[in-house]
Formats: sequence, structure tokens, C-alpha cells
Amino acid sequence: MRDVTLAIAGSGGDGVITAGDFIVQAAARKGLNAFMLKSYGPQIRGGESSARIRISDRPIYSQGDFVDFLVVFSWKDFARFSDEIKLRKGAVVLYDEADSTPPEEFPIAAELGAELIAVPFKKMAAEEIKVPLTKNMVALGVIAALLHLPLDGIKDAVMKKFGKRKPEAAQVNIEAIDLGKSWVEKNLPDGTQVVLEAEGAGEPKLVMTGDDAVAYGALHAGVKVFAGYPITPASPILEFLSKWLPHFGGAVVQTEDEIAAITYAIGASWAGKQAMTASSGPGVALKLEALGLAAIAEIPLVVVNVQRVGPSTGIPSKSEQADLFQAVGGTPGDVPRVVLAPSDVEDNFQVAIEAFYIAEKYQIPVIILSDQFLGERSETIDPDVLFARKRVIARQLAKPSNLKEYKRYKLTDTGVSPMTVPGMKGGQYITSGLEHYEDGRPTSSGTMHQIMSEKRARKLPLIAEESGFVRVYGDEDAELAVLAWGSSKGAVREAVERARAEGIKVKAIVPQLIYPVPEKKLDAALKGVKRAVVVELSFGAQFYRFLRAYYDGLPKETYSHARSGANPLLVSEVLEAIKEHAGAMNAPQEA
Amino acid sequence: MEPVKLTAKDYKTSVPIVWCPGCGDFGVLNAMQQAAAELAIPPENLMVVSGIGCSSRIAGYINAFGFNTIHGRALPIASGAKLARPEMTVWAAGGDGDGYSIGTNHFVHTIRRNADITYIVMDNNIYGLTKGQVSPTTPHGDYTKSTPMGNPDRPLNPLALALELGATYIAQGFSGNVKHLRDLIVKGTQHKGFAFINVKSPCVTFRGRQEFNVVREHGVYLDESHDPSSWEKAHEVTQWKEKIPLGVIYHVHGVPTLDEIARDLQHKAEEQGHVETSKDLLKIFG
Repeated sequence: MRDVTLAIAGSGGDGVITAGDFIVQAAARKGLNAFMLKSYGPQIRGGESSARIRISDRPIYSQGDFVDFLVVFSWKDFARFSDEIKLRKGAVVLYDEADSTPPEEFPIAAELGAELIAVPFKKMAAEEIKVPLTKNMVALGVIAALLHLPLDGIKDAVMKKFGKRKPEAAQVNIEAIDLGKSWVEKNLPDGTQVVLEAEGAGEPKLVMTGDDAVAYGALHAGVKVFAGYPITPASPILEFLSKWLPHFGGAVVQTEDEIAAITYAIGASWAGKQAMTASSGPGVALKLEALGLAAIAEIPLVVVNVQRVGPSTGIPSKSEQADLFQAVGGTPGDVPRVVLAPSDVEDNFQVAIEAFYIAEKYQIPVIILSDQFLGERSETIDPDVLFARKRVIARQLAKPSNLKEYKRYKLTDTGVSPMTVPGMKGGQYITSGLEHYEDGRPTSSGTMHQIMSEKRARKLPLIAEESGFVRVYGDEDAELAVLAWGSSKGAVREAVERARAEGIKVKAIVPQLIYPVPEKKLDAALKGVKRAVVVELSFGAQFYRFLRAYYDGLPKETYSHARSGANPLLVSEVLEAIKEHAGAMNAPQEA
Repeated sequence: MEPVKLTAKDYKTSVPIVWCPGCGDFGVLNAMQQAAAELAIPPENLMVVSGIGCSSRIAGYINAFGFNTIHGRALPIASGAKLARPEMTVWAAGGDGDGYSIGTNHFVHTIRRNADITYIVMDNNIYGLTKGQVSPTTPHGDYTKSTPMGNPDRPLNPLALALELGATYIAQGFSGNVKHLRDLIVKGTQHKGFAFINVKSPCVTFRGRQEFNVVREHGVYLDESHDPSSWEKAHEVTQWKEKIPLGVIYHVHGVPTLDEIARDLQHKAEEQGHVETSKDLLKIFG
């Protein structure tokens, strides 16, 4: 097989994610593409956890609907993932012989014809390595030998993680991997029916999570102050910048609450430094009043929302696309803001740069709508593409010679007024969350409020013209289109390719800029489209309703395919929707 | 070039003042403008951040980079500004509702981080802008629009709270004594760290003009007999029941500030290994 999806399921202490990380890194070193989705229960330790890894020499867009190769440390833990881990017919399943569940009660369907193999993972780790915790490394050796994964790459990854700080641990782990490999040589000399037949081509790739990518992109864009408050699944952004921002003359504050986080960023940006905050939906809800402040005071600001399942605490460790209305419409008043949606890990990096570009150029708050599925997954990335787009700009300041009778909110054609920062002689001004005159003095005049509302809104069409792009995949001249946003792109793109392979003419349309709606670019993408289906992970079909409300160019025949999140969007469900709509279009019209 | 002598007038703006005639906050505004002149802070190097409330309008009345923000959030905005531009002088200002009720969480943590800003609270024991509801410092039993049967809650003691939290400069002033208050602001601004100044600033409309007399009658100016470096002495003063302490209650030096800590972390990072450009970070993903 050139495209293998494997999954490892166990409990929190089993080292499932660590094993998965090593596999992804080994693939990356060989120049292969890899994609890893972590999934876990709410417990900190001891709860169920799974790593799902897809490896291929072809581009990978999604987590893969079906698993070809499964490793189970505990059937009880696996059962909790039965929603998410579906086996392909003829899959290979390795399980720990020490597990007490009798084979007839394994929570997998017998008719799938899986090749079941009992392996003494626990026993080998405990008795031969004498470190029970190395069970995951024994498994890694077994997996690598059976799937033909590059063993040297895996060992390199182990050395990279432990080599310097804990050389003994590195040694023990490598022994465990070798033990797993020799177990296969002795007990399964003929291997199994699933083997990865993909040769890595080209340069080694990088491995990044979406959260790291957005933080790294912000760093590249010149962020100098980051303030955040811990929240799943956005905390890795806080952690990444805490580690690296001081290297670039910046500062990170873990604040007392979400409101302090956004207001620290607003204060820093007002003072002249690029600033960002990040959270998930419930935290962003707390920040919304301050978002309005940044909008009316026209202070550049970037806010990341790594969406999770809501409402309220919902399912904090899982993904959903249901904060779209919050991003577009949350906060009192008519608040101009920009909403950008990254669609894969690399895009998280690019969107962070774009967000700062727009925030600084237009003096407006920008929301990056990522989600858990993007934020916590790992993907291989081609290092050359990261820095291809050059949109990094500094704070755009008023000319010091133009500060006579300086007006911070001077009315202009673009809605963008000259901005000063402290230290600029004659540049001092008063700003506030109050409506104001051009020089910043507060007013309660309705006329002025109308004038200033128009001024702030003038930025939006300009942003829609120049920011981001609308991605189109598939047949340019297709009459059927799938509209999707954010992390749904992967499954949608793959479904479109599969539909086309089956002879259906279809295309996928994925905007990077959500709000303001890039109308002209969407018009161009939708040209000739007679039927569109809007696919999303929001029970309330927020994207469908958003497009209905904010965009006039949808085809008359526009349908919604929406469901609640937590379980990632499947290629098969999108493919089914495509087939259904393609069929309906081709059906003879009734007279 | 000869430095231009700055006077209080240089810190006035053309923004019309909305306070009631006789409002205590006029005295605070004068004291702040005089303190800025005495410290000779160029207006473009002064940042004044306030929250929401009558007193928070003050950010518009001082010729500086002024920011009248949202309710309760003056401190984190001022802290973020100071962190970004440590070379600037940052003042935060607001009322008792803004600072001790909706913004209490920030008061606690700004003290903990010792952000190098001066925080001036115009404490009038009432919500004035919303026209007369009970505030966290309204005395027990007082009648207000929202306590028609008398305030059932006990008032908060901001001085004792700040001391307990580890504030490094704690003072109390009176808007009826501008010169004394000016000196407290000057000293607080010169202090390296969080300078907290609670100002008895009566609300003539909802608490009455007699509030000035209450402070005049019960106010006790701390003299040399008070040692502000002694936590115990300071604690004793913050517990006075009838008398109102006026002056520097507590003042200690040498506690690292928010922006000093940020610079220390930058040095530590540099010692761990120099990273020239963001592209050089690619190696951590390899």
C-alpha cells in the first residue's frame, strides 16, 4: 500500500502519543508525508488516548476514514474510540496478549476479516527490558518491522528526544525497539497483509502542529507581546511563545484571566508593539468586550481562537466549527473585525502572518479561527513553502513631520488614519472606547457616530479585495461545488478527488478570508456552478447561514451538509453528499 | 538645547470636563498635571490609562497618550503598555468601582507582578456615573439608590488589601489637598514598581459636600514618626477605624518589576543559545 493509516490505542500512561510522534518524525526524515491526529479523553493521566497516523508518498489531506493497521494495548480503552476508529476490511490488528478481554468480545466486527495477532508487548518490556514503561517502544519496533517503516529514522527521533538530556533513557528505548523488531523476525517471518510501499522522495520534511505553526507564524510576523491564559486546546501557543518569544526581544505574560490577556495585548499594541492573544471559544467569549475596544480605538490586534466543542465546556479536547457566529458577530455594537480561517497546519503559519499584515495595515482586530483538529494535529511540512509569501510589515506610523494639529482618527478614503505611538513628539492623542471626533475627543453625537461607523467600515471592502484567497480544487468548469471552510478542507478536498476519479465533475471552494466576505473571489470561483453544498461541523449550520446572510452570490440551489463536531469530518460522508447531489442534478426533471 | 520648563498648563487638553462642579476629581487632575510638570515628563512620553466611571474620564483631560478604556481593565492595559515600552511613564487611574469591584482581579495580579506603573484610585465610595449605587467602599449601613434599606455589606479596605498582597508603594491622599497629593504622585512615579495611591475624592452629588469635612476632620497626615519601610507599622495604620491616614503608608525597594523580569528572561534566553532570525527556528521542527 502507498497510503497506510495506523492507529495505536491505549490509556494515558501507555506512551501512545510518544510512539506516534516518533513514527511521524521517522516518516518526515524519509521525505514521506505524514499526518497524526491525537485523541484523548478528559482525564489528565490514565484516561484513554489514541494516535492515528497516516503515511503516504502522496499528499495527505485528511486523517483517513479507515484504519489499516491497529495496535491495541487495552480493548477497554479501544472501545471508547469505536466512534472514531473504524477498521478497513482486512486490517491488521495487534493486541497485547496480556489483555484480559476474551477474543470473542473484542469490540471489532468479525466480518471485517481482520488479521488478529497477539503480541507480548507488556511482557517483553517488563521481563526482558525490565522497564514496563517501554511497552510503547517494543510496539514501535514491531510496527516498524511489520509496516516496513524506516527504523533508523525512528531511532534518530528517539535520540533527538532523549539523547542529550537522558542518554540512559535513549539507550533503553532503542533496546526496546530492537526487541520488538526481533520478535517479528522470530514470530512473524512472513509479515502481514499490510505493508507500506512508499519510498520517501526528496528532502526531509518538518513536523509541526497547528498550534505551533500559528505561534511560529506570529513570531515570524514580528509579534513582541503575547498574553494568554491556559485553555485546551490553545495552551500550546502560550507554551511555544513562552519558550521562544524572549529569544526575539519579546515578552509573554500568563495573565490572571482571559480579559487581562486581551487587554495586555491591546495595551502593548497601543504602545507600539505587535501583540497577540490566543484562546478557545469560552475564553474568547470573555474577551469580546475588549475586542470591541480594539475595533473602536482602531488598535491592531490578533486574536487566535482554537475552537473546541461547545457550548460552555462542551467537549474540550475535541473539535468543532461552531464559533463562526461568535467570531463574525460577537460583541456589542457594530464592530468591524476580520476573520481568517486556516485550513491545514502550514496554513496556520501563513494565516498568522496574514493576520498581522491586515491588523497592522488596517488598524483593526483580526481573529484567526483555528480548531482543535488543526491545532493539535501534527503534519509534515515542506520547509521551503513556509517563507514563500512575503507579507511581513512593521507598524505603519504617521510621518513625524505631519504631526501639526494631529488627528488620530482623521477621516480618509480608506478609513485608515495616521497612527502615532508614545515617544513621537506632538503625536499624543486621547483614545477610548467612547465614540469620538477625528482628534479622539469623546462625543455622543449621533451624526459623528454615523460618520465614524462609516469610516471604520470603509476598511472592510479593501481587506476583502486584498487579503487571503479562495482556494479552488477540482474541475474548474464543474456545475457542482462543495463550499467548506477551515479544517474541513482536508476531507472535502480528498472527497472531491475521489468523486472525480469516479467520473463526477465537481470542485471544492475554500475561502481563507471568512469575513469580510471576499465576494469577487467567491463570484469567480462559483462561476458556472448550478448547485452548491456547504459542508461543515456545526450542528446549527453556521457557515451555511452566514453565507446566506452575508453573500448574495450563492447559486439558487445551495444545500447544507452540517453536523455537530467531536468526530472529524469523514471523506466518505462528503463523498456521499457529492454523489447524492450529483445524482439529483442529473436526474430527469419532472415536467 | 536648553530643556523647556514644563508647567501644569502643558498637560491640559481642550476636552470639556464633564464632572459636577465641586467634584473631588478636579483636585486629583490638578495634582496629576502638577506632578507631571514637576517630573518634567514630556507629554509624548506619558501614558495615562483609565477604566470607566466619572473619574476615568481623567485620561482625556491630561495632555499625554491617554486611553479611557473599558470598565475595570485599566491595569492590564497599562501593564501591557509598560511591558511594551518600559522607557515610558505609565499612569493608571480610575474609581473604586472600577478598581475594587469589577477590576479586583487585575488589582491583585498587578501588585503581584509589581508592574512599574502608578495607580491612582479616586475613591468616592459610590458609583457616580451610573448615578448613585452602592460601591465596594461604601460604609456599612449607608443608604444609596441600590441599598434603600442601608448597605448590608461591609466595605473593602483597599490599603490593607494592597499591603497584604505585597504592594511595594502604598499611599493615601486627599483631593482637597492638591500639593500633598502631587507629592505622593511624584514619589509614586519615581518608585520602581507598582505605586498605589488611594485618593479620598468625594462625590458631591451622591455623597454630599460634607464628605470633604469628614476627611478634613478625621484625616491624619503621617509624619516622621511613621516608618513606611515597616510592614507592621503600615499594617497598624491600614487598620485605623476612625482616623484616615494620609501620606506614604508603605514603601519598599528592590522587588523586580514586570518589565525587568521580561528583560531578565530575554537575557536568559540569549544565554541558552542565540537565535538570529525566525527562520533559524526551523531546526526545532526537524
